[in-house]
Amino acid sequence: MKCEILYPGAFPMVRVYLDANETVKAESGAMVAASPTIDIESKMEGGFLGALSRKMLSGEKFFFQTLRASRGAGEVLLAPTVPGEIVLLELDGVNEYMVQKDGFLAGAEGVKIESKMQSLTRGLLGGEGFFILKIGGIGQLVLNSFGAIHKIELKPNEEYIVDNSHLVAWTSTTTYNIEKASSGWIASLTSGEGLVCRFRGPGVVYIQSRNPGSFGNWIRQFIPVSE
Amino acid sequence: MPLVPNALCFSDGLPGAGAPCHVTVSDNGLTMVPVGDSVLREEAIAFTDMSVEAGGLDHDQLVVSWGDGTSRRTVYLKDPALIVAFRRAAPSQLTAHLERAAEQVRRARHSHRLLWSSVAGVLIGLVLFLWFGSDLVVEWAVARIPIEWEQKLGETVYQDFLSKETVLKDGPAVSAVQEMTQRLTEKIPNSPYKFQVSVVQGPVVNAFALPGGYVVVFTGLMNKAESGEEVAGVLSHELNHVLQRHGLERMVTMLGLAAVVGIVLGDQQGVLGLAKQLGMELATLKFGRAQETEADLTGLRLLSDARIAPDGMIRFFERLSEKDKERVELFSTHPMSAARAERLKAELAALPKRTPIPFTFEWKPVQDSLALSVPKK
Ligand SMILES: [Zn+2]
Repeated sequence: MKCEILYPGAFPMVRVYLDANETVKAESGAMVAASPTIDIESKMEGGFLGALSRKMLSGEKFFFQTLRASRGAGEVLLAPTVPGEIVLLELDGVNEYMVQKDGFLAGAEGVKIESKMQSLTRGLLGGEGFFILKIGGIGQLVLNSFGAIHKIELKPNEEYIVDNSHLVAWTSTTTYNIEKASSGWIASLTSGEGLVCRFRGPGVVYIQSRNPGSFGNWIRQFIPVSE
Repeated sequence: MPLVPNALCFSDGLPGAGAPCHVTVSDNGLTMVPVGDSVLREEAIAFTDMSVEAGGLDHDQLVVSWGDGTSRRTVYLKDPALIVAFRRAAPSQLTAHLERAAEQVRRARHSHRLLWSSVAGVLIGLVLFLWFGSDLVVEWAVARIPIEWEQKLGETVYQDFLSKETVLKDGPAVSAVQEMTQRLTEKIPNSPYKFQVSVVQGPVVNAFALPGGYVVVFTGLMNKAESGEEVAGVLSHELNHVLQRHGLERMVTMLGLAAVVGIVLGDQQGVLGLAKQLGMELATLKFGRAQETEADLTGLRLLSDARIAPDGMIRFFERLSEKDKERVELFSTHPMSAARAERLKAELAALPKRTPIPFTFEWKPVQDSLALSVPKK
C-alpha cells in the first residue's frame, strides 16, 4: 500500500494505491472513489450470535470497512467527513497509537486495530466516549482531524494539558489523567464539560485545532428554529 | 537480516514518538541496538547502572532509564517475552518494587474486567431478551429446528402422556376419529408429518396437538359434540397448530435464550432436555391469540378442502362460548369468544361453496359407545 495526500490543508484527500489482492482498512463511509477492481468486503463471521457479540463487545464494524483490490491493482480515494488536515504515520511494530474514534481514516493491511474500552472513570468523564482505538502493527496509518493537526512532543515525565475535545491521537508510552479544567478553558466551558487531559511523556500527542462540539454549538445559532 | 525493533528509546535529539531499537537481555544487563537511521549508538547497560519502573498507558510496559543530561536514555519495553526475560535476569532489589506494582495492576485489572464483563453480560442479555419478545427471532429459531427433532420431542411427550392415561384402542369412536383424520390429512399436500391421533378417556372438553403431529382427543369433547363434523372441526384446528409449528414457537419463547443457543449450536440433546423439563406443559400449552386465529382460519379451509361441512366447527365454537360460565376445559387453552366465531363465519362466506360429503358413520352410536366404555368406579 502506498499513500499520498492530495490537496494538503483544510480539504485534503488521500490516494491509496493497492497491489492486486492487497487490502486497506478505511473508516466506514470514507471512500470517495475507487478503481473498478476494488471491492468492499463484508463478511459475517461466526453466525448470528458471533456477529452480535462482536458488535456488542468491540463495536468493530461500526468504525471501518475493508477494501480489497480483489480484481487487480488499483487505487482508492478516501476523504474524511469534516474539513481538516490529514497525517500519515509509519508503524514499525513497536510504536502504538491510541486514536480517538473519529480520528481514524485508514490503515494498511498490517495495521492492527483494536477497540479498547476506556477505564470506567476515564470513559465516563472523557468526552471521547467509551471506545478508543488502539492501533499498532506494521504499515501506514492515516489520521484525520477537525482543523489543523498539531503535534506535541513530550520528553519523559514532561506534562501537557489538552482540552478533551481537541484530542486526536497519542502514543501508548504516554499516560494521561482526566481532570476538571480550571477556569479559562474556553472550549470546555462551552461544551459544558470542563474536562481536560493531563498527559505525561515520553511520547507524542496529536491535537486538532478545532473543537467539533464548539463548532456545532456555534453553527446552531444560525439554524432557524421552527415552532 | 535486519533487526526487528522490540522497544522504543527516548532521549534528547530523538523523535518525540521514540526511536525504534532492539533490546536483548543478558546475565548482567541489557544491550540496546538502534534500528534504522538514528543518532543512537549501540549501548550495553549493567543492571547496576539503571533504574526500572512500570509505565505506559496501561502500566504494562517496562521502563528502563540510565545516564544523565543529554545522554539520559529511557527505553520502553512492551514485548511480554522480553519483559519476562528481564525480570528473570535482573537482581531482585532492582525489580522488587516493580513486582509489587505489577501485583497491584493485576488486581485492579481483574476487578475492572469483572465489572465490565458483568456490564456486557447484562447488556447482551437485555438485547437478546428484547429481540426475543419479537416474533421474528422466535420464527427465525423455529425455522432452524429440523423436523426430526420436532418429531422426537413430540413423540417423547406423547408416549409419556399416553402411558398415564386410558387410551381407547378400538371401537366406533376410534374408527370415527381415524376416518376424520384420514379425510383431513389426505388434503395436506407434501406434509412432512405423519399424524397420529389418539382418543383418550377423560371428561375434559378438549383436544391438543404436540409438535411433530401427535394429537390427543378427549372423550369429553366427543360427548359434548353434536356431530362428527364438530369434532372434525376441532381436529382440523389442532392439525393446523402442528402444520404452522405453533408448539415449537411457544416452546422457544418459553425456553428462551437457552433454546436458541442450543439450536444455533445444533445441540439437539440440550434442547430436548430443556423441553423435557417443561414436560407436560407442552400438552397444555396455551397458544397466543394470533396462533389461535391462524389455526382457526387454516383449519376452516382444510375442512372445506376435505369436503367436511365447515359450519360444524363454527357451531361447536358458538355453543361452547354460550356455555362460557361452565368453564369447560377447552376454554382454558382455547378461550372462546363470539368474535372468534364471527371471524370464522366471515371466512366461510369467502370460501368457494362445496357440497359436503358426509362421514360413513352415524354420530349417535359413536357417542353411545363412549358411554359404554366409561370405566365404572
Ligand atoms: Zn388451538
